[in-house]
Amino acid sequence: MQIPDEMRNILYANYFGYVCTSDRFDQPHLTPVFFVYDENSQKIFFITNERSKKIKNLTENPNVSITIDIRDPVNPFNNEGVMAQGTANITDRAPIYFLSEETLQLYYDIYLEFKSKYQKVIDNKPMGENDVIIQINIEKMVYWKGPHFKSLKFSKDSQVFF
Amino acid sequence: MDKSEKKEMKWIYEEIVGRIPPFSLLSYKYSILLQLLLLLVIGIFLGFVFNIEQISMLYGSLAILVAVSWSLLILQLAPTLRKFRAPLSKDENELLERYKDILFNRNHYEAVPGLVIFIPFMFYLFYQGTDLLEMWLGKEPHIILLLFVSLLIWDICYRMGLGLWTSALALWRSIRLKRLAEKRTELEHTPYTELRYLQKLDINNVFFGIISLLLLPIFKTDEFLFTVILVFMFFVTFTSVISAYIISKVPWLPPDIYDLVNESSFAYIGTSLGGITHVTPVVYVFDGQKIYFNTSKEAKKLKTMQQNNKVAFLIDKRDMSNIYENKAVMFTGEVKIYGLIDIPLRLFSMLGALKLFMKKYPEYTKKYSSSELPKAWQLTPIISRILVEVKPVKIIYWRGAKQISVPV
Repeated sequence: MQIPDEMRNILYANYFGYVCTSDRFDQPHLTPVFFVYDENSQKIFFITNERSKKIKNLTENPNVSITIDIRDPVNPFNNEGVMAQGTANITDRAPIYFLSEETLQLYYDIYLEFKSKYQKVIDNKPMGENDVIIQINIEKMVYWKGPHFKSLKFSKDSQVFF
Repeated sequence: MDKSEKKEMKWIYEEIVGRIPPFSLLSYKYSILLQLLLLLVIGIFLGFVFNIEQISMLYGSLAILVAVSWSLLILQLAPTLRKFRAPLSKDENELLERYKDILFNRNHYEAVPGLVIFIPFMFYLFYQGTDLLEMWLGKEPHIILLLFVSLLIWDICYRMGLGLWTSALALWRSIRLKRLAEKRTELEHTPYTELRYLQKLDINNVFFGIISLLLLPIFKTDEFLFTVILVFMFFVTFTSVISAYIISKVPWLPPDIYDLVNESSFAYIGTSLGGITHVTPVVYVFDGQKIYFNTSKEAKKLKTMQQNNKVAFLIDKRDMSNIYENKAVMFTGEVKIYGLIDIPLRLFSMLGALKLFMKKYPEYTKKYSSSELPKAWQLTPIISRILVEVKPVKIIYWRGAKQISVPV
């Protein structure tokens, strides 16, 4: 199944995503992140520091949502965006030689994608020592343009990485 | 040595009394209460022994009641100031340290206004031929009664002095703080909690002023003293109201974050219900003190917030050309959802917010009012667009890749 074009366009054409996690007391937490969308697996990935509050929240509660949008300060009818809700997988945090082959491959693929997308920003910097990749398994996606909404549910059988 | 003395923050009278048993065995607050209760008991006892008129005993009790209420209000000062966190601005910190230092100075300046009231008052009472003494105690009162009344008068005068002293100092502090706040740079500020503490102390002093009205019946036969009490009441009440007002105008956000919140046009609101999170963009306004955003009555986030009012609210400046200049601020805390019930009480702040929305997003307001839109989207104020206020408990600020936690 392919997601509709207008949703895909948003996911590909934008650089910032806003990730919302919440802790065990249901207190939300929100941060801007760089992200990539992987068409094959229909998953969203972002990189974050393993000591961040996001990671702490995700270990307590794996539910996550991310919003990616285009904002027009003048005309609200041009506002367009998607919000994906789902659960997060955190890649293993271990020295490279302990990682499984699939995880290494994932690191490699995702990192290359990040590099090509954020060329200007991250140059040739390697991934930070404490950085981990978060995979969002999308369960539901909402799309809006102006006052119009569209929502999409994802089946659970989509490919799982780890 | 200096430090421990500073921590004490006690006034001379309370300190002396605090050293005499049984008061020394009790906490500061209870020792004052016991002391005044004792006065009341002694007063009533003396009243019966010397056959004092009932009305006079009522006057005495009234004076003791005033002294108790004043003590309870003014005694909140020290503990509140003791838990005060240092402002994140060198100048503001210096100012508040100086304020505390003068307020609880080793030389005990606070007793001066009390003495300045007490001495002329006693002089007036005993030598100016006023009939107050006779009205209170009858003709040729016993010396013990006179001593007791003098003690009571000292209690009142001393606390009146404290009231003048604390409210005048508070006004000076608020004016200085407001001026210093205008010169802040980057992340300098005095946290919200501390500003609210100062405001609360000022409001205590407003009550302090109003309570002095209870003294009026005691002085009703003496026009001059009656006027003095009224002047005192007006002075304390007004300086405290003004001081509290000035504090309410001191920005609780440091300039970097203030500007970001003031200049940015969009925000994201994150909510969570049963662990399931939700994040959407919203339009918002900032009046210098409060942050409001707008949501449709039909919105999912509104239903979520009605069940769990904890939110995360993020405002950022995004610029791909210079990533290291990107700034973002996240407030976590609670929201207050405004409904019809709030209209009578908060009409002005609601109208103020609405006006700010129309000014900040004129096109939005125009387009939202068009009747072709789905009902939930029409900007019929209050009815279909709900006003929500963000009440932050924690602030996280990002500048480039640096993350800074800012005390609220």
